[in-house]
Amino acid sequence: MSSWADATERNPCAACYNSSVQAPEGTPLYVHLPFCAAKCHYCDFYSVPAEGHDRHAMVQAILAEARLRAPLHPSLVFFGGGTPSLLDHDELRVLLDGLDQICGWRSSSLETTAECNPESLDQSKAETLLALGVQRLSIGFQSLDPATLQLFGRVHTVEDSFAAYAAARAAGATNVNIDMIYAVPGQDPEQWQRDLSKVLDLGPDHLSAYNLTFEEETVFRRWLEQGRLQQHSEERELRFFVETRAALAARGLDAYEISNFARTGRECRHNLNYWANGPYVGLGPSAVSKVGVTRSGNIKAIGAYVRGALSGVRPEAWEETPSPLQRLAETWWLGLRTRAGLSAHEARVRAACDADDAAFLNEARALEQQGVLACANDTWTLTPKGLPLADWIAKRFLALAD
Amino acid sequence: MQPTNLIRNFCIIAHIDHGKSTLADRMLEVTGAVDKRDMRAQLLDSMELERERGITIKASAVTIWHEVGGQKYELNLIDTPGHVDFNYEVQKALQACEGALLLVDASQGVEAQTVANAYLAVEANLEIVPVINKCDLPHARPEEVAEEVENSIGIQAEDASRVSAKTGMGVKELLDSIVRMVPAPKGDPNASLRCLIFDAAYNEYRGIVVYLRVMEGTIKEGEMIHMLGTDKVYEAIDIGRFTPSMKRTGELGPGEVGYFVSNIKKLSDVRIGDTMTRHKGPKVEMLPGYRPPMHMVYADFFPTNTGDFESLREALETLSLSDSSFSHEAVTSEALGFGFRCGFLGLLHMEIVQERLEREHDIDMIQTAPTVNYRIVLADGSTQEIHSPGQLPTPDKYEKIMEPMARVSIMTPSEHIGNVMQIASDHRGDYIRQEHLSPTRVQLIYDIPLAELIYDFFDKLKSSTRGYGTLNYDISDFKEADLVKLRILVNGKEVDALTSIVHKDQAEFRGRQAIKKMRKEIPRHLFEIALQAAIGARIIARETISALRKDVTAKCYGGDVTRKRKLLEKQKEGKRRMRQIGNVDIPQKAFLAVLGGDDAEGSED
Repeated sequence: MSSWADATERNPCAACYNSSVQAPEGTPLYVHLPFCAAKCHYCDFYSVPAEGHDRHAMVQAILAEARLRAPLHPSLVFFGGGTPSLLDHDELRVLLDGLDQICGWRSSSLETTAECNPESLDQSKAETLLALGVQRLSIGFQSLDPATLQLFGRVHTVEDSFAAYAAARAAGATNVNIDMIYAVPGQDPEQWQRDLSKVLDLGPDHLSAYNLTFEEETVFRRWLEQGRLQQHSEERELRFFVETRAALAARGLDAYEISNFARTGRECRHNLNYWANGPYVGLGPSAVSKVGVTRSGNIKAIGAYVRGALSGVRPEAWEETPSPLQRLAETWWLGLRTRAGLSAHEARVRAACDADDAAFLNEARALEQQGVLACANDTWTLTPKGLPLADWIAKRFLALAD
Repeated sequence: MQPTNLIRNFCIIAHIDHGKSTLADRMLEVTGAVDKRDMRAQLLDSMELERERGITIKASAVTIWHEVGGQKYELNLIDTPGHVDFNYEVQKALQACEGALLLVDASQGVEAQTVANAYLAVEANLEIVPVINKCDLPHARPEEVAEEVENSIGIQAEDASRVSAKTGMGVKELLDSIVRMVPAPKGDPNASLRCLIFDAAYNEYRGIVVYLRVMEGTIKEGEMIHMLGTDKVYEAIDIGRFTPSMKRTGELGPGEVGYFVSNIKKLSDVRIGDTMTRHKGPKVEMLPGYRPPMHMVYADFFPTNTGDFESLREALETLSLSDSSFSHEAVTSEALGFGFRCGFLGLLHMEIVQERLEREHDIDMIQTAPTVNYRIVLADGSTQEIHSPGQLPTPDKYEKIMEPMARVSIMTPSEHIGNVMQIASDHRGDYIRQEHLSPTRVQLIYDIPLAELIYDFFDKLKSSTRGYGTLNYDISDFKEADLVKLRILVNGKEVDALTSIVHKDQAEFRGRQAIKKMRKEIPRHLFEIALQAAIGARIIARETISALRKDVTAKCYGGDVTRKRKLLEKQKEGKRRMRQIGNVDIPQKAFLAVLGGDDAEGSED
């Protein structure tokens, strides 16, 4: 990919755009579909129960927003949520065709992903998605333990997960990801290894394995604070983390980010763009965009979003332009999460920061001394000791931006 | 020049929040000294910090005019600092007055501070005018409060003026009472000049402004004036009154209060309590009670970045322009490098200086726990004063250590008397006596080492009396005590800035408390940190901060970056106010761990 800094200097094409900050042609596109069959207890993404909401109006609103600000010919497209697979065949067709008419993504996208949940992915849904141009399906298994699925508030069964995976393959999907969560309260590390092994037996191209996080303003966080749930000790979580990476590597899925594993060549390019602190345009309620050095987010509330977008105004809720040093710190933080790491030069270019970065290099060297960073050919990466300390390291860099 | 029989000089003695500044404001308004629309609340508290904390740090003065029976009287109100740290300044302000309003809140009643200052006023032969404030409030109990005043200070209070400074009720009548009750100053305008300096301040436009009260004679512009205590001579360039703005009069006669401006360079060239007279005039006696500022509490300030030593020096020097009562001298610490040892009048004074350094000079610094000064009697019989625990020689080098003692007066509702006595005895207090002020309030007198007051006595007193206990103290003398040096080691390395001097019987407990507190304040590092407390060569307590092994966000995508960054920024340990010792980052709060305080005990995991 070309460097992000000069992306902002390219001339946005087009009379059909009316927003003040326009993303250049080719900018990756994210589309947020906020509906879920039910809200999971650990999830802090914006979603609402599908029942009782006008999905048709939402599709129209997203298309209206796309007319305002979708980049032409996005290089990557990601339908996330929420649960995109919850849309029915007609809704999917209207949305994906409509988007193609507006920005021509089908001819330009090198990777198009749709997130799916087992309860709403059967073979015909998978076929529809693939026929509409989706190339990569991501299926949220989360757990192979029925009790855990219940604790999570998931509406599917373990059998549903396996059936959805089989349906995706039967429909001809050649690039499938599975999402799993570990370090669940009460979970035994050995049981986790056995579950992981069963998932790997399916032969996914990509696997995201997340350490359960008690995010703020979630049911899980409340349960944790009430003492209804017990978090594993730091030592035990570390064991989960290390053993997960080892087990996946042994089965040919190498970690290319803290929580992401893939066969060679199957890394998710859309997400790699996030860790490169690259630009993207997000459509839909709560979706975040990064254009140039400015990040902005849409209104979350569905009604307000729909009304705003349909009236031809960008339904923006917030905007921020971090300082050059903050951008540099963010770039180090995000870049170090990846196997590829980054060089000081790349960090400056991606952050569009020409401020003096000597302090960052000094910090990197100090962290190298402490055994958490390594440097080869000017490229900095986290060491095995540093990987589980990525946030601690990020804070060191962020402190330099004060 | 105003004839002395038409002058009244008075001050207001009151506890914090009892409405002193509001009453002063109302007097200014009632007499038309300040236009109602120019009225800022609490006109006399000029420093930002004073307004915020609702306390008076510096004395100030204002002249107001009030007519009684067709005669125009010059009333000089001298606002005194209310806090024990500034006792000396209070005394000097009292010396400039003939009367004092004793202002008591009609629902709160008499507080220790008020009594202490009222006694000072009685000792200075001032006429006490009792005033009960906030009489408009529903909880007012003026009769009971008047009884408390009579019992605690021994003056008639049944006819006390009842006012509401807030509404202005009774303020005019109070001014009449002042004219009636406060004696007029005495003094011959033609006698040899004697003026009392009761305060001095730095003014951005005028330089050093000296606050004075003419005791005898007349001070005139153009004359050469001799300050006896500092033995310095200045020309009287500008003389006038505070109205409250500075209004030039050219001269001031006996009994009058006003200002004196000359080409004085530094505030420290002016000493509060000093006597001014005419240079080369007839020899006069110095006014009584003069002494240089006495430092009771010491603490070391170190810049957070070693490179900022010079900026810290400049900031301290600038600050001493407007506050001459703290001292500073350069020191070196093995752990913290170059810094300054500063002496203060008391704890509040220390906090004020520290806050002003940070606020007005934007200095990031590490401050060590405050300590008192000790007197060491060496083997050869000579005495040495030390004001840093690090200066204490090894036990074989000295005969004994003496520590400053405070005579402490505590006022509390009677129901908390048991708690207060317990706290006093926990702090090595010697019981002296107790007095019942009213059926519900009692005064306890103890002798307590000053070091114990600094440790956590104030906090403990407040929490055990539900905030109703108040205290006042005077330094009485130095007393021998069985004291030892408590050292703190971080990963086996002694940190001199954390050394303290404690009583032998308390050493183990306080050592344990100190490192427990440090364990909470020092962030986890990638390696284990051992904290130890030691007396001599003996380790008495140990705590361990475990190594950080895992701190990572599982999910981090485009929609998360802003929120996660803010979260991380909130968690990160700012580089500000941290110092590295060895390879351990120690935040400011950990340097104060050798002090007690609310969180030293309580719930431990």
